[in-house]
Amino acid sequence: MSRSGERVIFWTLPAVAVIWIAAFLLFPGFVPPMSPKASAAEVAAFYRDHLSRVRYSMILFNWFCVALIPILMLLVERMRGMAHRTPVLRYCVIGAAGAAPIAFLTSTVFWLIAAFRPDRSPALTQMCNDLAWITFTCGVPFLIGLCVFVAVAIAYDDQEQPVFPRWVGRFNLVIALALVPACFAGLTLDGPFAWNGFVSFWVKNLAIALWIVVMAVVLRQAMDRDRVVAGAAA
Amino acid sequence: MSLGASLRTDPKRELWFAWYSTVAFYSLYSVVFFVLTRTQPPGRPWLTPEQTVAWFADRHWGLLVGFALIFVLGGFSATSISLITYSIRRMSVSRAYAYSYLILYAIAAIPGFLFICVAMTVGAMRPERDPALLHWLYDFGFLSFSGTMGVFLVGSLIWMAAILLDKNGVFPRWFGYLNLCNALTEVVIAPSWIFQRGVLAWNGVIAWWIDVAVFGMYTVVFIYLLRSLIQRDDLGTGPVPAPVITG
Repeated sequence: MSRSGERVIFWTLPAVAVIWIAAFLLFPGFVPPMSPKASAAEVAAFYRDHLSRVRYSMILFNWFCVALIPILMLLVERMRGMAHRTPVLRYCVIGAAGAAPIAFLTSTVFWLIAAFRPDRSPALTQMCNDLAWITFTCGVPFLIGLCVFVAVAIAYDDQEQPVFPRWVGRFNLVIALALVPACFAGLTLDGPFAWNGFVSFWVKNLAIALWIVVMAVVLRQAMDRDRVVAGAAA
Repeated sequence: MSLGASLRTDPKRELWFAWYSTVAFYSLYSVVFFVLTRTQPPGRPWLTPEQTVAWFADRHWGLLVGFALIFVLGGFSATSISLITYSIRRMSVSRAYAYSYLILYAIAAIPGFLFICVAMTVGAMRPERDPALLHWLYDFGFLSFSGTMGVFLVGSLIWMAAILLDKNGVFPRWFGYLNLCNALTEVVIAPSWIFQRGVLAWNGVIAWWIDVAVFGMYTVVFIYLLRSLIQRDDLGTGPVPAPVITG
């Protein structure tokens, strides 16, 4: 089984991370997050006043939100070494890893439509903005699934030298739980659970960022070990 | 064997995990769509904008809570897809069939159920929104849900072809033909993009009642057949990793 080229994919991650952070800071609606209580007129004014930054940041996200997929496939490849008798959990991770970034991509489409004609009726702009924020905030079922599938896969990897340490499984469950409250963001327009609230915005997005960093570190360790084993076998 | 033992110590535990998750997912799906949100049977396509305002008001919390549950647990749709992909890997056909099914159904999740959850949540969260826009969200929700066709059409045909070509006897041939019935539901739903009234509209006798009966039967049957596939599978109890199936 060839491992050739895996390091190239892995080292795209820092570049992707820089682009994501830049796009996050460039979008004027993230720091601080836009309020769902803003009136249609205020939302329309937001797009008129920050048109270029909305467009450029969302074009960046539209390009690169899917750039995480190749890195997730490195995770899938590590799963081959797990003490499983079937590939079924690997298929679960592949399915979730494909859908999760596409949900994010869909929200960028709604943001870009809202910004496309800033002279549109404010009520229409507000609806596009709502569609973007609800897709972005609540559209995490595939990320939750991904974390749970990884956690189960690690729990079932009962060999002396498991591919990932046990704690990584528990860590994935914690991240899955941290994403759950954001799913309820539609129920309220203010407080910690609203789409701009502490739980639905900051906890959710920081949990995703932390997941990427921690999984990158353990992925790197597993890739190094894989290479040593492959070298010894050769 | 108890559920706990199936998931902890059984050599087929990852298959059982996927199977029990599949049962849980379809149960949740039924409860959310039929009971909590009351979006099945679907709303009438001929409602006026003012009537859709009343429709949203009538099920305000049901829509918000029900679809929030799908936002939490919708990712578990991947478990049935994975189990079916695995079933195709057990057949005497190329892996291309298995991977086609996996990618088709994984993509289908976004237009197939994420869009209706988003549209209905956005509709319910601002009851004071312009009725014409609520009307648009109502159409977007139901049409994306019923009218996402191709991925399920081609996916069912791929599974059907794999079953009919298979020489390992993974599934009975009649189930191959049942896949054709499921594929045909995606054909007869197409006029719901055109008609607002009658048997072909999204809530009509053909486009909803017959389609749901076929899809419901098909789902119950495949969940049962996947269970017997797992029971029949002999993966041994020897040391792993020594994957029975790779790739």
